[in-house]
Amino acid sequence: MIKKQYNNINDFLDDHSFENWVHQNNGTDIGFWDFWIANNPDKKELVNQAKDLVLGIPFNKNFVTKEKVSFEWKKLEAKIEAKKPTPKRKIRTLKPLSIAASILLLISFGIYFINNNAKITHKTNFGEILKIKLKDGSNVTLNANSSLSYYKNESRKVWLKGEAFFQVDKKLVTNAKFYVITDDLSVEVYGTSFNVNTKKQKTDVFLEEGSIWLKLKNGGDKKMIPGNFISYSSEKKEILENTEIVNSTVKTSWKDGSLLFENLSLVKAMKKIEETYGYSIFFNDEASKNTLITGAVPITNIDICLKAIEKSVNVVIEKKDNNLIISKK
Amino acid sequence: MEKITDQYVWKALKEGDLNAFSVLFESYYPQLHNYGLKICKNVALTEDTLQDFFLYIYEHRQNLSDIDNIAPYLFTSYKRFLIKVLKKNEKLVQTDFSAENFVDIQFSAEEIITKHETEIFKNKKLNKLLNNLPKRQKEAIYLKYYSGLKASEIANIMDINYQSVVNTLHKAMKNLKEEISILKLFK
Repeated sequence: MIKKQYNNINDFLDDHSFENWVHQNNGTDIGFWDFWIANNPDKKELVNQAKDLVLGIPFNKNFVTKEKVSFEWKKLEAKIEAKKPTPKRKIRTLKPLSIAASILLLISFGIYFINNNAKITHKTNFGEILKIKLKDGSNVTLNANSSLSYYKNESRKVWLKGEAFFQVDKKLVTNAKFYVITDDLSVEVYGTSFNVNTKKQKTDVFLEEGSIWLKLKNGGDKKMIPGNFISYSSEKKEILENTEIVNSTVKTSWKDGSLLFENLSLVKAMKKIEETYGYSIFFNDEASKNTLITGAVPITNIDICLKAIEKSVNVVIEKKDNNLIISKK
Repeated sequence: MEKITDQYVWKALKEGDLNAFSVLFESYYPQLHNYGLKICKNVALTEDTLQDFFLYIYEHRQNLSDIDNIAPYLFTSYKRFLIKVLKKNEKLVQTDFSAENFVDIQFSAEEIITKHETEIFKNKKLNKLLNNLPKRQKEAIYLKYYSGLKASEIANIMDINYQSVVNTLHKAMKNLKEEISILKLFK
């Protein structure tokens, strides 16, 4: 970075660290560019021009509403449907009953086939928890902003994005395994209850009872025992954390509708709020970041949740658009 | 949910997947609606042409070429589509009526955020200054800072090279700054 020459405006625009400096985003880049500019006073004008280009004109974008878009889509969809040829009428004129019957058979066979292979996806929004009962009797609780998919004819193999708590029924007769697949690993289970969380570019697995095997993306595998908490990232190709957790409710309390904080710093607690409700967090008051917080807050009601935090940490949390701004009381 | 990438949506659309098409429609409709409105300044015409345009894409999906980046493709084709309709409506006789002459983007005062970080552009008349810029500079500014497209994508839409996009934006910002400093002198 330092060896690079900055002679024309493109050199600045192509540099990601310059952009970070303009938006004052990254400590190292800010430090570098402040220093660079102080030492290159002859480039000051060029820097200012590049900065203007990065910042640009702040437009108040006036786009059509979501409702309008879906209205227009319905209109278009109807036109597309209307243009599709209608085979029904043709068949009737061709008449022979046998043709109709065989087509009917074909269609019902097709429907049967499609139904069996249909991919089912359950999705939750921010601040929403969903309880799902799978066909084999297993229970899944899906946390906020998460999704769970599986094929209809194979509900013991599920794909997870986000966080979910599983209570898997033992299939003694067939001894069929249950699989949870994430970007980082797959969990193989016989019958047990455990928590899987894929937020933050890694997968956390917490085993409450029973026993499970993890097949990691790097080819390795790992047996877990109750109370075991393992965090694995396929990007870093390593186990980030492997610990024993005594108080299991900290990891799984969310499924009963509350987030449990146990001596957690406010900045970490707010990170959880960010994941659960989808707000961006800003601290006006740096000092409060490290205040420890202990207690439970609801997952499905942001206002009560914020009030509870305000009370226990002595800060003011302001909700503005999609942001939560934390200031001193 | 998986983030559905452009290539995936495009491929699925070519195979006739209506769901993929609805994803595409919902993600680009607002931007194209605004772009169309900026070009023809007529809501009914914008909405009619958008319906026809998307229907055309769906019906000709098998002939679509493979692309990696949908945004510039849609902006360019829709612009061409709309201008064709405009030409027909106005029954223009000129033969060399190029696209540039049609695209004269205007900004309203409400479209400018007055509370922002760039001190220099804190000007109540900024939208008027913008409207006085040459057409090409306005279009580049619109595509970059309003539609949020990348310089390489804008190059594609405006049919110029990457460097010309940077130069055009650079010139536009310089012009604006000069105008503002002149205004300040006469305050």
